[in-house]
Amino acid sequence: MSATTVTAALRRSQLYRRHIDLGGHFEQVAESTLVSHYRSVEEERAQVKTLALVDLSALPRIGFKGLGAPDWAAAQGMTLPAQPNRATLQDDGTLIARLSQTELLIASNLSGASTHNAVAMSAVADTTLAERVYSLPRADSHSWLVLCGDLAAETLAKVCGVDLRPHKFANGEVAQTSIAKINGVLIRNDYGDTLAYSIFSDSSSVEFLWDSLLDAMAEFNGAPVGVQALRDC
Amino acid sequence: MSNDVRLPAPFGSLIDRDKTISFRFENKTYQGFAGDNIASALAANNQWLLSRSFKYHRPRGALTMAGQDANTMIQLPSDPNALADRVAISDGLEVMGQNYSGSLNRDSGALLGLVAKFLPVGFYYKAFFKPRGMWERWAPLIRKKAGLGVIDQQFQPEYFDKQYQFYDVAVIGAGPAGLTAALAAAKAGAEVLLVDENPSLGGSLNYSRLDAEGEKARQLRQRLVAEVLASDNITAMSNATCNGWFADNWLPIIRGKRLYKVRAKQTILCVGALEQQAVFHNNDLPGVIMSSAAQRLMHLYGVRPGKTAVIVTGNNDGYAAALDLLDAGVEVKAIVDLREQPEYDAVAKKAASKGLTIKTGHAVFAAHKDRSGLHLGSVEVRKIIRQGVCGDQSETILCDTLCMAVGYTPTYQLVCQGGGQLSYNDNTSMFTLTNCPQNCQIAGSVNSHWLIDDVIADAQRAAIIASNALGLSNETPDQQLDISLQHSPNFSWPIFAHPKGKEFVDFDEDLQIADIINATRDGYEHIQLVKRYSTCGMGPSQGRHSALATARLVAAATNRTVAQTGVTTARPPFSAEHLAHSAGRSFYPARRSSMHYRHLEAGAQMLQAGAWYRPAYYGSAECREACINSEVNNVRTNVGLVDVSTLGGLEVRGPDAAEFLNRFYTFGFLKQAVGRARYALLTNEAGVVIDDGVACRFGEQHYYVTATTGGVDRVYQNMLKWNAQWRLDVDIANVTSAYCGVNIAGPKARDVLRKVCSDIDLSSEAFPYMGVRQGTVAGIAARVIRVGFVGELGYEVHVPQHCGEALWDALIEAGAEQGIKPFGIEAQRVLRLEKGHIIIGQDTDAMSTPAEVQMSWAIARQKPFFVGSRSIQELDKLPAKRSLVGFVVDNLSAPIPLESHLVLNGDRMTGRVTSCHFSPTLNKPVGLAYVEPDKAEVGSRFTIKSSGGVMVDALVVELPFYDPETQRQEL
Repeated sequence: MSATTVTAALRRSQLYRRHIDLGGHFEQVAESTLVSHYRSVEEERAQVKTLALVDLSALPRIGFKGLGAPDWAAAQGMTLPAQPNRATLQDDGTLIARLSQTELLIASNLSGASTHNAVAMSAVADTTLAERVYSLPRADSHSWLVLCGDLAAETLAKVCGVDLRPHKFANGEVAQTSIAKINGVLIRNDYGDTLAYSIFSDSSSVEFLWDSLLDAMAEFNGAPVGVQALRDC
Repeated sequence: MSNDVRLPAPFGSLIDRDKTISFRFENKTYQGFAGDNIASALAANNQWLLSRSFKYHRPRGALTMAGQDANTMIQLPSDPNALADRVAISDGLEVMGQNYSGSLNRDSGALLGLVAKFLPVGFYYKAFFKPRGMWERWAPLIRKKAGLGVIDQQFQPEYFDKQYQFYDVAVIGAGPAGLTAALAAAKAGAEVLLVDENPSLGGSLNYSRLDAEGEKARQLRQRLVAEVLASDNITAMSNATCNGWFADNWLPIIRGKRLYKVRAKQTILCVGALEQQAVFHNNDLPGVIMSSAAQRLMHLYGVRPGKTAVIVTGNNDGYAAALDLLDAGVEVKAIVDLREQPEYDAVAKKAASKGLTIKTGHAVFAAHKDRSGLHLGSVEVRKIIRQGVCGDQSETILCDTLCMAVGYTPTYQLVCQGGGQLSYNDNTSMFTLTNCPQNCQIAGSVNSHWLIDDVIADAQRAAIIASNALGLSNETPDQQLDISLQHSPNFSWPIFAHPKGKEFVDFDEDLQIADIINATRDGYEHIQLVKRYSTCGMGPSQGRHSALATARLVAAATNRTVAQTGVTTARPPFSAEHLAHSAGRSFYPARRSSMHYRHLEAGAQMLQAGAWYRPAYYGSAECREACINSEVNNVRTNVGLVDVSTLGGLEVRGPDAAEFLNRFYTFGFLKQAVGRARYALLTNEAGVVIDDGVACRFGEQHYYVTATTGGVDRVYQNMLKWNAQWRLDVDIANVTSAYCGVNIAGPKARDVLRKVCSDIDLSSEAFPYMGVRQGTVAGIAARVIRVGFVGELGYEVHVPQHCGEALWDALIEAGAEQGIKPFGIEAQRVLRLEKGHIIIGQDTDAMSTPAEVQMSWAIARQKPFFVGSRSIQELDKLPAKRSLVGFVVDNLSAPIPLESHLVLNGDRMTGRVTSCHFSPTLNKPVGLAYVEPDKAEVGSRFTIKSSGGVMVDALVVELPFYDPETQRQEL
């Protein structure tokens, strides 16, 4: 898929120019385009194991908050974490993070065809929400980057003051913190046995965060990869 | 390198003799080995003179070889005051000495030493206090002479950064205590960080002699270091300095160009002790060094300190140094033992058995220069007849090296920064540390343990306490040894005044015995006052080698004990650090709308509003005004498009949404119809205007409220704060980044929008001014708001952030036929000014009330309450102090007033301009200004002090300047 196709989509990651500059190959996902890979997929599979950065901002995601949100989500068949600042992976790969007792973040699986996400999105579209359940436009308010690989925690230690080392920050843990001076929601969400951190942060600052993370990754020879390498984990 | 100076292996554990490195010092090329620092490499070339002292420009050379003194401060190309015994040599490195006039060898500044007696302590205070103005005359000269090193003004910032780290236990200092403590804590299961400022782990085990054979230290180091490196639980950092201790074991650790921000649950400080100098005449001559410095030179760098040495000692460590010197082929002329009846350990016994001349109960009374005048040539030894006093009989011993081994102070800085207390034990003549901060232990020589077995036991004790606190063990630690009964290496009074002075207590500031005593005689008896008055301890080494001697001298001079005298406060940083370490990598978050690159492609000049980048105007900077005017004209006559994505967006939803807004903003919102927008003015509790926006009612329980770019975060925080009190059934969400938006404005705006918006009836009847609708624009789900900020028919179109660029493209394409053009923030400012709309923060300040800014119309006074209502009621009862008025300047040749230009009434300052610009629509300057109430009437005139002091006459006119009937925006 060419760069032209990227700009044909109504929804565009704010990083798409950087992806084009890096030679990204794009694929259509949901209403937008996602980088499938920049280099060969084999190279990127290896890169993911050490240190890689992936832009998943084009994937669907949504949030809900309000006193009725947890019960409503559970009624939709979603399995919620029992306590705040924890995330649970659903059967179809959807990630559901509980940001507080009454606030949820629902992020699609890597195909963009997450059942739970679709349910949530259609609920908003149909305005069939229950009382005191309020949707949050997380797909637009927040960008979604994934920093993954064995050196991901060490890299994040340069930009984030939370102890994110794998043996201290378990898979599924959530930190709502500052990353390179940008407020964000950071979720450890390993792909297979690959250590990975999903970072949801202010979408208008995503270029700054992308550059800051690449800068922090440089000493470890980290590099951006496309979504395919992540799917292959 | 001089072959007769370099020692064969195993001397020189740090150097790689296979790698020769060339560098330059004072424009002369030298060679050293990889692993050498500048001082060791120069010493290997018989170059001992490194720099000149601060005050008297005395020649100075290495003193500690540990990076702990100011003697080795040298100039690197972009780094003044670098430490020659800390900085490794590298190929091509250019090094210069510091603080000299002429040349390092022949420094004319040294003449100051001849008049030292006329420069007593407190000289500046005394000499320049009177007559008035004296100091101002002298200051430039003194400041020129003062200061060390030269700043490279062409220096380009380098890349420094930071990294957070977390450990169960941080052990600072990797000597025998640190290695042992780290191993013990790691074995208990703790994650341990072991930090040492030196290139090699092992601390004193790298160079000191623990046994007569000289094997024990090396073997112990080998074993401990091997175990540490094999431990998975220990991260060892060498060449890393823990530069402070902050609350809860927050430790700034500097290595290279990175600052590690370490948080440790437990800290064990094994930072050792600093060897102290003897105080005697000319004790600062190059060649007079600490005994540990001689041992470091030999064992670490394979450099023989000299050919002939004398050792002045008050303990057995001097004898250990003597054995090392003998092993290195140095002729030891004498051991001058301050003690009358020394108690020898095995090491000292062996040294004594070597047939050396040992002079007990004697002191080095003076050191003398060699023929070069730049190095030690001989020492004058005298019998001690009582404390600090020598007899008259002298024996001169020729030597080029004098090693001093008269005692230590614990490296107390980090402990004291945490609140630890430094006390003096008169039995042992030592400083001791107590009251360590919580979760912080000390062990080893910093804890006054000197025998290696005691040091090891103390470190294990500290590790057990730390491990117990972490819940990793439940052992009972050994009782700490009674420090007062310990063997002490400190001689009680290694201080010998000389009739000619120059017995230096503080090398940094060239302070002599008399200076310290005279400070007390001038009335500055408290140790803190002595410090300030004399500057003792204020130099680069921060009293490392002067605190003990000063405390002793002050105690004696004031008839107190040293314990009563105490020491000055130790504050971070422990050693000099670059400002760049504190700054680290610069993180300046930048926010960009999704249309950002379209602005750049259209030639926009961007400006920053907080973190946001916004287009100021489109076109070259040279034709700024023409661009702005053109953009204004296009909006007034045609159609323009401006990016308003940076505007704040807040969702207020829930059963009490209307009630919440009714309390929060000044206007009434309970009766606002769905599908309508209403102006929302926000005041604080003091009745001051702090923000404004538009509240759009999209449903009975759903408002979408805009806020100013810079104010939205505060508005959001205020909303949450107030509702925490009100407990209304409402949800508040900041969705600023979720939506981007444009304002398409101008008489042809509807024509353009209609092309890409088919599911909203855009007719004036169906969608009137201040109406809001939801639909699609260019296929994108959109919130459309009819607003009139710029005073023309206009629609704000808000769409999901990631669709912003597509929306922009669609509108530009759709408007091509109508001649749509983007306009920037500057044009928008002019347009709204012509319309008389204020900008919060520009036309208001921290005191602006609604009445002052002519916004009383935006207050629903019949409401029972809104934030600030009570204050506004009271303010309304008071006479007005000022008023924001619209004005025009009819004199087109006068300089156009600018924001913040003063409004004058005679010579009295009565107000200021808040906004002013040439109006391309009205063809004259228009503006807003605060004026006195009696100048607020339409038709009044007032004076503005404009650029260049030109007085400009302004006429108060009715607002708005443009379209007073408000017909344009309601088309």
